Amino acid sequence: CTDDLNITPNDDQTVLSEDLFEDEAAYKQVLAGIYANLALTGTDGAGSSNLKNIDAGTSQFGRVLLYTQTLAADQMIWSYENDPGTRELQRNIWTDQNPLLLGMFSRAHLSIALANNFLRETTDDKLNSRNVSESTRSEIVEYRAEARLMRAMAYYYLMDLFGKANFADETTPINAIPEVYERAQLFSFIESELLAIESDLVNPRQNQYGRADKAVGYMVLAKMYLNAEVYIGENRYSDCITQCEKIIAGGYALANNYLHNFMADNNTNSALNEIIFPIVSDGVTTQNFGPTTVMINGSVGSLEVNGAEVGVGAAGWGGALRVRKQFAQLFDGAFANDDRNTLISANRPIDIADISDKDTGYIIQKYSNATSTGGFGVDQTFVDTDFPLFRLADVYLMYAEAHLRGGGGSATTALGYLNALRTRANNPVALTSTDMTLDFILDERSRELHWEAHRRQDLIRYNRFTGGNYNWAWKGNGSSGIALPAHMAVYPIPSASLASNPNLTQNLGY
Amino acid sequence: KVTEKSTDIPLPGVNVVIKGTTTGTSTDFDGEYQIEANSGDILVFSYVGYQSVEIPFTGGATLNVELAEDAAQLDEIVIIGYGTTTKKDATGSVEAITSEDFTKGNIVTAENLLNGRIAGVSINTSGAPGSGSQIRIRGGASINGSNDPLIIIDGLPISNDGVTGSRGVLASINPNDIDSFSVLKDASATAIYGSRASNGVIIIVTKKGKSTFSATYDTQYSFGEVTNTIDVFSGNEYRDLVRSQPINGTTIDESLLGGANTNWQDEIFRNTVSSQHNITMQGALFKVLPARFSFGLVNQEGALRTSEFERRNLSLALNPKFFDDHLKVSLNANLAFEDNRFADAGQIGAAMRYDPTKTVYDPNSPFGGFYQHRDGNQVANGTTNPVAQLLQRTNLGDANRVYGNLNFDYKFHFLPELRAVINLGYDKTEATGLDTRDRLQATTDQDILFKGERRNNSQKRTNELFDGYLNYKKDIDNIGLDLTAGYSYQKFTNEGVNGRNLTDPLSVDDFYTDPDVVLIGFFGRANVTLNDKYALTLTYRRDGTSRFSKDNQWGDFPAAAFAWTISDEDFMKESKVFSNLKLRLGYGITGQQSITEKDIFLNRYRSGRTDSQFQFDNEVIQSLIASEINPDLKWEETATIEMGIDYGLFDNKVSGSLNFFQKNSTDLLFTASVPDGTNFSNSIIQNIGELQIQGLEFSVNTDVINTDDWKVDFNFNATLLDREVKELALGQDVRTGGISGGTGNNIQIHREGEAPNSFYVFKQLYDTNGNPIEGAYADLNGDNVINDNDRYVKENPGANAIFGFQSNIIYKNFDFAFNLRANLGNYVYNNVRSSRAQYELLLDNAVLGNIPTSVLDTNFQRTSDVITSDVYVENASFLRMDNITLGYTFNDISKLLKSVRVWGGVQNVFTITNYSGLDPEVTDNDSDLTLTLGIDNVVYPRPRTVLVGANIKF
Repeated sequence: CTDDLNITPNDDQTVLSEDLFEDEAAYKQVLAGIYANLALTGTDGAGSSNLKNIDAGTSQFGRVLLYTQTLAADQMIWSYENDPGTRELQRNIWTDQNPLLLGMFSRAHLSIALANNFLRETTDDKLNSRNVSESTRSEIVEYRAEARLMRAMAYYYLMDLFGKANFADETTPINAIPEVYERAQLFSFIESELLAIESDLVNPRQNQYGRADKAVGYMVLAKMYLNAEVYIGENRYSDCITQCEKIIAGGYALANNYLHNFMADNNTNSALNEIIFPIVSDGVTTQNFGPTTVMINGSVGSLEVNGAEVGVGAAGWGGALRVRKQFAQLFDGAFANDDRNTLISANRPIDIADISDKDTGYIIQKYSNATSTGGFGVDQTFVDTDFPLFRLADVYLMYAEAHLRGGGGSATTALGYLNALRTRANNPVALTSTDMTLDFILDERSRELHWEAHRRQDLIRYNRFTGGNYNWAWKGNGSSGIALPAHMAVYPIPSASLASNPNLTQNLGY
Repeated sequence: KVTEKSTDIPLPGVNVVIKGTTTGTSTDFDGEYQIEANSGDILVFSYVGYQSVEIPFTGGATLNVELAEDAAQLDEIVIIGYGTTTKKDATGSVEAITSEDFTKGNIVTAENLLNGRIAGVSINTSGAPGSGSQIRIRGGASINGSNDPLIIIDGLPISNDGVTGSRGVLASINPNDIDSFSVLKDASATAIYGSRASNGVIIIVTKKGKSTFSATYDTQYSFGEVTNTIDVFSGNEYRDLVRSQPINGTTIDESLLGGANTNWQDEIFRNTVSSQHNITMQGALFKVLPARFSFGLVNQEGALRTSEFERRNLSLALNPKFFDDHLKVSLNANLAFEDNRFADAGQIGAAMRYDPTKTVYDPNSPFGGFYQHRDGNQVANGTTNPVAQLLQRTNLGDANRVYGNLNFDYKFHFLPELRAVINLGYDKTEATGLDTRDRLQATTDQDILFKGERRNNSQKRTNELFDGYLNYKKDIDNIGLDLTAGYSYQKFTNEGVNGRNLTDPLSVDDFYTDPDVVLIGFFGRANVTLNDKYALTLTYRRDGTSRFSKDNQWGDFPAAAFAWTISDEDFMKESKVFSNLKLRLGYGITGQQSITEKDIFLNRYRSGRTDSQFQFDNEVIQSLIASEINPDLKWEETATIEMGIDYGLFDNKVSGSLNFFQKNSTDLLFTASVPDGTNFSNSIIQNIGELQIQGLEFSVNTDVINTDDWKVDFNFNATLLDREVKELALGQDVRTGGISGGTGNNIQIHREGEAPNSFYVFKQLYDTNGNPIEGAYADLNGDNVINDNDRYVKENPGANAIFGFQSNIIYKNFDFAFNLRANLGNYVYNNVRSSRAQYELLLDNAVLGNIPTSVLDTNFQRTSDVITSDVYVENASFLRMDNITLGYTFNDISKLLKSVRVWGGVQNVFTITNYSGLDPEVTDNDSDLTLTLGIDNVVYPRPRTVLVGANIKF
């Protein structure tokens, strides 16, 4: 009986692909898997991971995005520097061995692999052979567009962070050695994809919460166009304005309260009008060590022990996260009572002379596992708070910036958007058109969008990340900041990824 | 009457012949015989396995004879895969050790009977009661694949996978039931087991039923004491230290200090009392059915408070013969009941860490009267009271195992040279666990604070075997033929549930069922001898495994070996020195398929657990994620070449062997990177790389003195081992060796040209006084930046040389035995110091924490600055005396009572080492020993144990 060697899985959580699609509901579940890759690290709890060589928690998409875009810049400090990779990242001394960079590179590519897989499983041939019903087929048109959108978004982040990526689409076989796309190739691929799927995507705000619609595509395009000079050396600011206008026309509105965007019920409170795309988190069903769980537990102060206020254990993670001086100073003077100022500074020096001294440097209380109605998330570690990857305030600021950079649009409109943010933050100081400068916008972006994984990209666009134009605390591993060499504007390709694809080459300077 | 010399047991079936005639008889069941003889005749008494005796008959009604065992002759039977051979005809590297030679002492689990006895075999057992061991034969053969040898009990290969609720795969077997071990080391001996043979094979044979009646009762009591703990500051020292602040930069709120002097390690460890009882009865049931029955009871306390191990074994062996002995049937049936209470070994670390100025108890504490760092009813972050953690948790595990085999061995009536053997094996373990945390246990987890936690687990493993083979054995003139061919089928299943928290209504059970593992093999062996001097063995096995896809599931494993008994050549026959000299040469290919992944070749999707779902529109959708896939996975292959010499000197008073071997494992089953974006992980198991292991083994056994009063023998063995990674995927390094102190730090590397698991560290710089400078490392690549690229390889955990020495000394009724083991050139990364001995850790979040006093040597401030320094890689060579025993035997006490042996001993007598940690032999507190090779985190201390016991024979 040698046939016994041909086994099939016995576990009820595991299904063979040939059996899976007998149930048409599976298509949506597999689509959900692509989205879930942004929130979960594995299928078996927050400590499980389908990626290896990196701690499960620190391979979460939003977490590594936060590390690469925010921790590596001027807003955030992580106290536990013996957590691998954090020291090198926040002191800008990273190498291609950095596990967090591996996590970012691999996690984003996993999104690509999962999207490609979905596209392969939903070709007309496959659907015909499975006699899929018409109603499911019409839904699958939307699903396929969303899968391509998620793939394009993953390529967008790889383009931004690493300047290149392994290129695989649905025609690339499993386990193939993929070719490599450089920045310009990625730019044109993402652009053409997003334009191609526009008509198949659901209209803005019309899709289910948690799923992407047209506005997410516009958002990725807007960000690409805003940064096009960095990526491909072209001025695309007017295209940026166009995309911003399309989003705004989609019917979004600012949340009533700035902090609603960062609360446990930001999936149901007024933030629902503002958030364009969230990374979902839930204390019961979607537990993860993602950015919101990390920031809420992490920003509980070592002295303040203020966890209960934000709905987690009293001591949280004992002061894991603090802010750097230059960021804290953005809230001096007129911003003391601005809603966006959540700094806690009592009994704390503003300087962090010693990163491991958790009693130095200010802490903040931006994110919270409390709800807008005074309740709390169900779990005291894993928060219910969704991470607002894209939200309307960012669009307003992009519009104003693109306008100032010559992209057209209206100055009055731009000023109106900036003042809308001020008003919403209960900041009494109204802006005038003379206040509206590029430097001001960079600062205002930091005040509005800090700890939302945008900062490194913004500083690079303003030419203040590398070089010595702007030195923040611990930049370049000096307590008051040291200039960075130009090559650090992109990250090195992780050594393991480099070794497994002979077509990949290391970025210059590494 | 004829009796056995050493035991006085009557010997049935002894041939009694008058010399030079055909007149003879044999002894009956009680060893009695009757023969008519004339004075002056010479009576010859002969019996297989015993030295023949010739006695001139001088008249008289009775002639009682004692026969002594013929050691040399007994040794000749060697158990090999699917059969036996004689020592003389053996062509492979096989070493046997029988119950008489077993290591004595506090033996709770079977493998420790072997400890230190056989060259090339190393056994590392944790200090936890009844715990499993890491067994390595010749250093294994793999990196990522299993390095565990194949263990076969009475023909049934057992699974190396553990079960919840049990301490280890051999934990449920009663060592008292074991008759012999046969260790198959080289490929020519193991290849008959094909795909599972690369790491060597240990064949365990249990005791069989006998016709003669005997009964024994064994009992022993042992008293254990933890003799060595990590030095941390005492309460007074700690207060002095804190008051001398700032301490190298750290300032502390002195008001946090308490007034107590608590040695937390003393509080969690205890002196232990353990006992073992074994009753064995053998004899013929209904006068015809040879049977053996045994009952064993072990009760062992762990050195860590609350840790307990109890095992009850029932074993029955029936060995009837039918049709004039043409059909031999043997049945071995075993029941084992293992009852455990597990103690969280993590509390050993907590005890080192806990503030020594605090008391164990606090009458005002809401946490069951135990002191806790707290803020009212909230637990402050930081370590929790280790005594409370132990006493307020009851983690029970019961494993019930039934295993055994039924063997039919039929010698054909028409062709007695041909035998057919069928072996049916069965092994099932059902385990349940109940882990209860007291309602009042301190925790920062608000979900269970003042609710407690209770979880039921259960697991069931089965293992079914069908083997059938034919054996043809015939001598034709001067050619001896021994041919075997057969088929083997084995199937393993595993299922269970990780239970929900019964105190949390939201919690759900997590059921799992592994894919079946099916292994099918066809095998054959030809053993040809010429003139009793030249022996050739050819082996072939074709194996199939369910772990690989249809295209790759079959593998072929051939082997050949040649032996030349030089001492039988005419020019050696007269040698006064060499009584035996045999040259062996062997080559073979074996396989490896034992990986965690059981269905990675299939296109699978996995749905999320209840806490790993996604939400659309705030409604749960069970997301499905494609699983990593490798349809091309296939066998790892190990080619072994072996050259050996077996020698016997001075009438075999000195004997032993010298072996050289080289193992090359190719297509290593290795988890390594795959290109991002074309698989569903960034790293999957694949066939990549090559590992080479070379070694030299030497053993010598001698009877130094063998007189009526004195018997002195010793056994010495030495193994030299060298492991080198020859090739890795695309030449890339692989980081491994996770350590504590930060999340996800690795301290080891697999790199081409280096030993596996080499330590990968920064080179520490020292000041002019020779003290290490904190965080200052050599810029090894000279780029003026100290970063990860400046790490280098410093040594590895593998020992270059392993030695074993044991001796038995018998004087009249006294017996004395001891054994020593030594490892040279094994390095250990002292993770206890690297992650603990820094001043910043005097603060344990917002409370105080203790640190090892070794911080005074380095004055290091911050863990993150120093954790990857090479100062923590230490030479952990050692010499250790495992056991020493002394016994005295009272013989012939009464008609009923044949003998009583009383004995006493000490286990873990001493260890000589320069290693600064607790124990140079590092084990894991979990069962997954391979992951922490050479990394000393917090080890369960091996207690020193004093033993007394008695062995009573009826």
